[in-house]
Formats: sequence, structure tokens, C-alpha cells
Amino acid sequence: MQNRKPSILEVRNISKSFGTTKVLDGVDLNIHEGEVVVVIGPSGSGKSTLLRCINFIAAPDSGSIWFENSEWKTPKSKRNPIALRQHERELAGMRAEIGMVFQHFNVFPHLTACQNVTLGLRKVVHLSKADAEAKAHDYLNRVGLAEKFHEYPEHLSGGQKQRVAIARALALEPKVMLFDEATSALDPELISGVLEEMRKLALAGMTMVVVTHEMRFAFQVAHRVVFMDQGRIIEQGPPEQFRNPQEPRTRAFLNAILE
Amino acid sequence: MTKYIFDWGIIRDNFGALMNGLKITLYIAFAGLTIALILGLIVALMRLSRSRTASWIAGSFTQLMRGIPLLVLLYWIYYGVAAELNLNFSPFSAGAIALGLTGSAYMAEVYRGGLNAVDPGQREAALAMGLRRSQAFAAVIFPQAVRIIIPPTVNVFVGLLKGATIVSVIGVTDMLYVAQVVSLRTFTPFELYSAAGVVLVAITVAIAGFSWSLECHLGRGGNRV
Amino acid sequence: MSKSANFDLKPVFDSFGLLMHGFGLAMYIAAVSIILAVALGIIVALMRLSSFAPARWLAFAYTQLFRGLALYVLIIWVYFGLAVALNINLAPITAGIVTLALLNSGYLSETFRSGILAVDRGQVEAATAIGLSKAQIFRSVVGPQALRKIAPATGNQFVDAIKDSAILSVIGVPELMHETQRLAQYYFRPFEFYTFAGALYFLAVLGVSYLFRILERKLSNKTVESKRFFSFQTSQIPNN
Repeated sequence: MQNRKPSILEVRNISKSFGTTKVLDGVDLNIHEGEVVVVIGPSGSGKSTLLRCINFIAAPDSGSIWFENSEWKTPKSKRNPIALRQHERELAGMRAEIGMVFQHFNVFPHLTACQNVTLGLRKVVHLSKADAEAKAHDYLNRVGLAEKFHEYPEHLSGGQKQRVAIARALALEPKVMLFDEATSALDPELISGVLEEMRKLALAGMTMVVVTHEMRFAFQVAHRVVFMDQGRIIEQGPPEQFRNPQEPRTRAFLNAILE
Repeated sequence: MTKYIFDWGIIRDNFGALMNGLKITLYIAFAGLTIALILGLIVALMRLSRSRTASWIAGSFTQLMRGIPLLVLLYWIYYGVAAELNLNFSPFSAGAIALGLTGSAYMAEVYRGGLNAVDPGQREAALAMGLRRSQAFAAVIFPQAVRIIIPPTVNVFVGLLKGATIVSVIGVTDMLYVAQVVSLRTFTPFELYSAAGVVLVAITVAIAGFSWSLECHLGRGGNRV
Repeated sequence: MSKSANFDLKPVFDSFGLLMHGFGLAMYIAAVSIILAVALGIIVALMRLSSFAPARWLAFAYTQLFRGLALYVLIIWVYFGLAVALNINLAPITAGIVTLALLNSGYLSETFRSGILAVDRGQVEAATAIGLSKAQIFRSVVGPQALRKIAPATGNQFVDAIKDSAILSVIGVPELMHETQRLAQYYFRPFEFYTFAGALYFLAVLGVSYLFRILERKLSNKTVESKRFFSFQTSQIPNN
């Protein structure tokens, strides 16, 4: 399924090192509106880091992100406090348009499911309490958690916590959703519930960048699959292409996984 | 050598004065704690700030306060600073300030430990939603840190309480001052200081028990999700 | 009282010898009491861990008692109280060392106990399976690992003992604090003298912490980052 929509997010020559290890090595990636891009690859390939660089949860060492008619870069100098504050304020605005779901959920344990969702609505979008709660109701309902509205996360299963996290991200109505191994920390029987939510989102036309190990899901839902290894994109294309990959490294990886 | 006759009644006779003294001890410890809680938070935030100067100042302050005996600090304030700057501290305020300064160094460490103990993923999730750093701190990180911080804070208070025992040397009329005055008059230091010791241990054990039950209660809602 | 002229360190320098003498005495007292405290602490810790219930209770009471007491109260009780009541007349220095040793042994025994307990049970099981005796296991497996956890806490206690030695001035031990007080009153220069005393204690504490850092490094087999070398180890809560 080709996607001819315009690109709405571009990763431009992003590099990042942790100490002496180069985790991302000049990665370029264009994401188009409504496209579902799934990133696969072995551990240490940099896929999670790439995702985190997109919304600057991790700051890239070089390169930039193009999003919403702006180019986003890591400020060179960390000294100027006024410039830094300004940059952060702008980043906050950018992050409100990009939603992220984490491997370890990161739901706020001291807040109920409802409060987890309304926090962003009230502090970032500045909705009134009533409007925020109505919206929270709506989104929690959509992920099937209507009756858990006032529960604290400690009483929820892993899958339910992750769905709260998804509702929390979706409620801000972002343009792009990032999923960082969203099902890797879940017990096997809870994975399908979360994948189902992700599938629904994809079908509804959300632009998504998904890092995952779930190959079946990847090939069913993706418009484009991207294979990364050692900080570089080795191969990318529609799922059919990966039935017979061009690159040997891709082939080796898929053989090992699909055993 | 005549055998010593224990005069436990001396405690009963002076019970009122001793209890008043105990109140003063508790007041000064609480005053010190209040200063320590506020100043300690400031120091902790300075330590965690991005400004290297602020961080260095906070770090040096902490090291200094933890490296100097309380007694020296007390005399330095009450006699030294008073003479040099031509000020007049009341013994109580000098004591409270000294306790507050040392306490703040320990509280700064407690705050830091508490803030660091909050799962870093929480901060990431808050930022990824578009919250600014200050919002993330106030709504997500600090509430979770508070639960972690309470038991060690109680420990700091116990330390301040024990530190407060020395303030009688500059004339604060606390429980030990009363014990000293009476025992000088009646030659009964054993009985009086035993009583003081028992009271002190009793309070410490009570606080320890309270802190333990507090920790049990606070298990809710603070675990990693 | 009229403001004395500006900062004048000359009296301090004139009394340097006396102050250093007091400083040396303070360090001596701290060192001796810590050594005693370690010995006592080990005994009490082992009692706490023994299978003999009365020993456990006794040890528990011991630690609760000495962790709850303040040095000031205890030292006066020992020096004046015991003298008047039981005719036990200790020299001030002896009273000081004994009291400091007792107090610090309370904390140290707890540290030792948790250090020993913190060694993984699996280690003990593996060692038993090989056929080592209990004593051998303690000496070769549990001991060395517990030691690594214990060294920093002992360093902290030593630092505390140095600071606590100042309180001994109230019973007349001629250590640093006592001498500083005397000289500050004699020369009417409290600010200069107390600042100097504070600086001396601070340097002593830094020095001892530094030495214990080196000790820790030697004990561990991985390289310890030395960025924060001139700082105190843990966020130990005050226990004076």
C-alpha cells in the first residue's frame, strides 16, 4: 500500500553517541502523513534511540528533525540560560504534537487513570477541569478502560497500564504517535490487547512510528518497514519487499527471528 | 566511704521544671527542622541546577556543615559572629540557627536521594507529553519523591533532637540545663541525668516506631509502574 | 560591648602550639574510641545474629539504647553521675573514650549486621556445598564481601567521632574545643579562634574521608570513579 501523502516529519542526518559508542550514524528518514512506519532490528541497532531523538527525549549530537515547518536541533552551547529556556519552551510545544508510548509504560503511579490523562489536557492544552475530564472519559473509553476511570495504576494489569498510557498520549491529539517497544514488557497474554489498539489507530489514519519485535504485527500493519543495524538504516520498503530482502544483513536478521 | 543513697524523689520534686525544659528542647529541635527543611530544599535544588556555580556553592555548603562539629558552629555563631558583626543572638536563636544549618546539609542529601529515586521514565513521560520541566517537577516528580523522603527526614529530626541536647552550654534553659542546675545544688547528677537519658531514649524509640509504621502506610502508590 | 577591631589572626598564630596539641588529642581520642567501637560492634553484631535468643535480645537492647542516647547526656552521666553515685572516678579522657566507644559501637554493630546479612545467601549455600566449614565460610566468603560494605560506614563513624570529640570539652578534656574556648576568652577573639577550630575540624574530616576512599578502592576490584574524591561518602544521617 503506497503512501503518496506529503512528508510531515523528517529525520535529517541524525547522529548520537553514548560515550565512545556511536548509536546512531547519520540516519535519514521521511515520515509521511498517515503512514505507519515500523522499525525493526537487533538490540543495540539504535532503533529506540532514533525514536527518542525525534521528540528530543534524547538529544541528538548532530543533525536535525524537521516537523511543523520548523527545524529542530540540539543547541550548541549549553551556557546561555535564556536561550536554553526558550528552546525548552518551544520543545514542549513540539512534544504536545507528538505522542509517545514507552516500553515500561511510565504511567504516573500517584494519579488515577483519569488524572493521568487530564494532566496533559489541563497543563499543556489548558482545558478546563470539566472539558478535560470529558475528554479523558472519551479516550479511556476508546481504549476499553471506561470502568477503570478512577483506579490507581497499581490496581491495573500491565496491558491496562499501557492502554492508559496510549489514551494519555492520544488525548492531546498529536499529529504523530511514537511507540517504543510498547509490548516488550508485557506478559504474553496481554500483548494482543495493546497491539489491537495500535492496529485500530493505524486503520484510523494516524501517522505512527513503531519500534517493535512483533514481526507479524509489523508486516500486517506497516506501510513501510525499516531495518536498522548498528546505527544505520540498512533497508526499507513495503512489507512485501521483506519477503525477499535485498541486503544480506536483513536476510540474516529475519532468518534468525522468524525461525 | 559512706554508701551513696539514691534520691529518686529529686526527679519528682523537679518534674515540672524538667518537663518545661523538655518542651524547650523540642521547640528548638522543631525550629531547627523548619529551617533545615526550607534551606535544605534550596540547597538541593541549587545542587541539581544546571548552573555549575550554584551546584558548587551548594556542594561546598553541604560539605562544610557536615564537616564541622555542632558545638563549634554553635559557639561560632553565638560568640564569634556576634562579636564580629556586633549582633546579639539569644541563646535559643543561636541554637536554632546552628541546628538549622547542619540539618539543612543533611536534608539536602535526603531531598537529592528522594528525587533521584523517582523512576527516570516518569520524567521522560511527563516531558514527552509536552509538560515543561517545572510542570513535570511539580506535578509528577516531587509528589512521588515526597513519599520516599519522609522516613529519612524523620531520621534527620532525631539527629537534630540529639544535637539539641548541647544547647544548654550557651544558656538555653532546656531539660539538661535544669538537670545541671538542680544537680549542682543537690549533688544528684546520677538520678537526674539518668532520667534525662531515659526520656531521650524513650522519645527516640517512640519516633522510630512511628517512622516504621509510617513506612508501612506509605507503601501505596509509590512503586514503579 | 564595643566592636573589636577587624579580623586579627595573630593571637591564633601565637597559640598555634596549644591548639595543635588539642587537635592531636582530639584525633587520638577519636581513633582509640573507634577502634574500641569496632571491636565492641563486631561482638554485638554477632550476638544479634546468633541463634541464642537471650544474646539477641541483649544485643538489640544495647543497640537501641546507644543509638537513642545523645553524647552530651551520656558523658555527663558517666563522668559526674557515676562518680557521685557509684564512686567510679574516671579521668576525663578515659570517660570520654569509653563513652564515645559505647555510642559508636551501637551504630557500628547495626552496620556490621546489615553488611553481613547483605551478602547473598546463595554464596553461603554454594560455599557449604563445596564443604567449607562455617568459620571458613565466614573468613573467606562472607567476611571479605561484608567488609566492602562496611568500610564506608566505619569511615563515617570515625568522622563522627572526630566531631563528637568536641563535646568532651564540657568535662574538661583539654582537646581542641576546650583549648579554643579558653584562648578565645583570653584574647577576646572568639570569631578568629572558632573559625580556626572549625577549619581544623573540617580539614581533619576531609583528610579522613579521603583516606577511607583510598581504602574502599583498595578493597574493591572494580575501578571506583574518583570524580567526587573530596566529599563524604554516603548520605549518613547525623547520629551524634
